[in-house]
Amino acid sequence: MTTLLHHLGHGIGLRTAHFAPLTAAPPPVGWLEAISENFMGPGGRPLAVLERLRAEVPVVLHGVSLAIGSLDPIPARYLAALERLVDRIEPAAVSDHLCWGTHRGQYLHDLLPLPYTEEALAHVAGRVDQVQERLGRPLLLENPSAYLAYQDSTMPEWAFLSELARRTGCGLLLDVNNVFVSAHNLGFDPLTYLDGLPAASVGYLHLAGHADKGRYLLDSHDGAVPPPVWALYREALRRLGARPTLVEWDDAIPPLEVVVAESRRAAAIEAEALGTAEPQAAPRRLAS
Amino acid sequence: MTLAETQALFHEAITSAAPPGPERLRACFAGSPGLPAEDRVAIYAGMYLARLEDGLRQTFPALARQLGDQELGALAGDYLRRHPSHHHDIGQVGRRLGPFLRRHPDPARPDLADLAALEWARQAAFFAPDRTAAGPELFAALAPGDFAAAVLRLHPALRRLELPYDPAPLWRSLQDEVAPGPPVAGPATVAIWRRGFEVAHATLAGDEAEALRRAAAGAPLAEVCAAFAEAPDPAAAAHRALASWLAEGWIAGLRRRRRR
Repeated sequence: MTTLLHHLGHGIGLRTAHFAPLTAAPPPVGWLEAISENFMGPGGRPLAVLERLRAEVPVVLHGVSLAIGSLDPIPARYLAALERLVDRIEPAAVSDHLCWGTHRGQYLHDLLPLPYTEEALAHVAGRVDQVQERLGRPLLLENPSAYLAYQDSTMPEWAFLSELARRTGCGLLLDVNNVFVSAHNLGFDPLTYLDGLPAASVGYLHLAGHADKGRYLLDSHDGAVPPPVWALYREALRRLGARPTLVEWDDAIPPLEVVVAESRRAAAIEAEALGTAEPQAAPRRLAS
Repeated sequence: MTLAETQALFHEAITSAAPPGPERLRACFAGSPGLPAEDRVAIYAGMYLARLEDGLRQTFPALARQLGDQELGALAGDYLRRHPSHHHDIGQVGRRLGPFLRRHPDPARPDLADLAALEWARQAAFFAPDRTAAGPELFAALAPGDFAAAVLRLHPALRRLELPYDPAPLWRSLQDEVAPGPPVAGPATVAIWRRGFEVAHATLAGDEAEALRRAAAGAPLAEVCAAFAEAPDPAAAAHRALASWLAEGWIAGLRRRRRR
């Protein structure tokens, strides 16, 4: 998993607000991550922009509606749309979240946490197998940000993810901000979390901002990466080694240059943390 | 609790108008003295409504502007209780908002359902399949004797609405951030299409509206052009309309007439 993605370097999330500057000149980042559901329509500008950018830089497809932990069968309509998009874009990776989000056919459009039990593990593992078989490639699952835990959980999230990766061969998308937010909200040690992950399964990392709501931290994605998340990023790199890293910014989206600057800061911090030369910020084309 | 029981409880807690009490929630979810379980669940309940309301705001920006945050929030709550999302794309959650507003009209602005219908059609046009529009040479390539029987293949991004009120003036006022005039009673036919990646719409005059209705129904060009029979110069009016349809990219090509 890690060798598959190692070439990507540092990237940013593709957002509509940046379509114009990203298509006016070669994207000033190593790769882009696109929200899969935003590009599942039959046509129009978003898909055209994504295809054009895909010709310039690698693209990772990142879903928010797979609901891998839900009890509803994974909708055939959704899997077919995802498969079509994967065939069309040929992404460097396909990821979604460790969560549930549908109930009896209703979409809640949220990334709801699961109880970490053997029952949930067996359920999610079966569905990961189903998706991986359908797509013919490994799925990467992201640790969610959480505001609650379950009384019945029998293992910590990192143990659940580790065992899931072992059983299914899926990769992990480590969201460093989510670890920080969940650790604050649920009262665990984020370094213990990092220590508990299987490094070889971690395909890439997410960075984002959060908001302090007083009694809890909100995974808001509406600002710069805060200093404690940068610090945790350094710790993650020391444990995992270099990993493709993506900066997410979803609300109060600033000009492209600001998000790119955050991505370059991630590259600089990686170089500093690992004592390596700073990776090139220029885009790299995929070999065809 | 089983996985099914936890998800059913969580779902009830964040979507129900009468959510479960603290005792039931504490039996399932872990809390802390500073943030008890029911407050933690309430974070998700708040985000559920806010996210879907934002989804509606993205699809219906003019309607959202007309209503303001408070009224939009109230409408979203009422609407989502009756029509929760059943699609992976949050952009689809507003599919029934126009008909919902038609069933629950605002007496002062009965045209809000028409405005919602227009914005829904604009979104559909934006995401419609790509297809190259026919160029001005389309009709020139037809043998003179074939024109009357030819049938237009309309572009898949073209939408046609027949509405009780014309929403275009209200939409324009909201775009320009000027006070809207009173509702404009119809019936009105509005065409919505895509120029490149930009969505446009226009209210059609009676003869052109009828011509487009016939074209959408698969009528041959002779019948389409006959919609302009009452114009001072029917041939010129039909020619102008077809030329503008071509210029705006409404026509994808020609096809053989279906056998009836």
